[in-house]
Amino acid sequence: MSKESALGFIKKRKNCPFTAAGIKKIDYKDYDNLRMFITERGKLLPRRITGVSYYHQRQLKQAIKRARHMALLPFVGED
Amino acid sequence: MKQDRNRLYEGMYILNANLSEDARKKALQKILDGIETRKGEVVKIHEMGRRRLAYTIDKKKEGFYFVVYFNASPEVIQELWEEYQLNEDLVRFITLQADKVLESLEFKPLNAGA
Repeated sequence: MSKESALGFIKKRKNCPFTAAGIKKIDYKDYDNLRMFITERGKLLPRRITGVSYYHQRQLKQAIKRARHMALLPFVGED
Repeated sequence: MKQDRNRLYEGMYILNANLSEDARKKALQKILDGIETRKGEVVKIHEMGRRRLAYTIDKKKEGFYFVVYFNASPEVIQELWEEYQLNEDLVRFITLQADKVLESLEFKPLNAGA
């Protein structure tokens, strides 16, 4: 879905990958998928880049933090 | 009505990877016994196997992962937490309330950017 804005450039609407997959609860054990939502440095990616819905972003944040605690994801750096 | 207070929990445990096979089994049994002596009921055990830790914990680079689903009453969790703190074979642990028992820990890959 794209929309012409007042400024003339086209705004692309990203769809939430969790909504698309029909996931209600994000699991911290799903570390391979969670990896897509952090930077190479291990930081959380903002919603405006990943297109995750607010509902899922809140869960994602929690899931990533849990995964970090269990050393499934890094706190910092991954080279 | 005491029975109704039981809830489903999931615990994830990282055991020391340097332990021998027997010692690891014993360490896991110790965790399970800890739940069962407090009238908890172990529902399912998943073994995730040896994994590289994302960062070193107490100079350890590897750990042996287990996920255990169990029913227990909420008061038990605090006691378990205290017990786990004293358990030296346990590198890390997490105990969370769970809604359901996962039959497998395989997850479908998401297609991001779609």
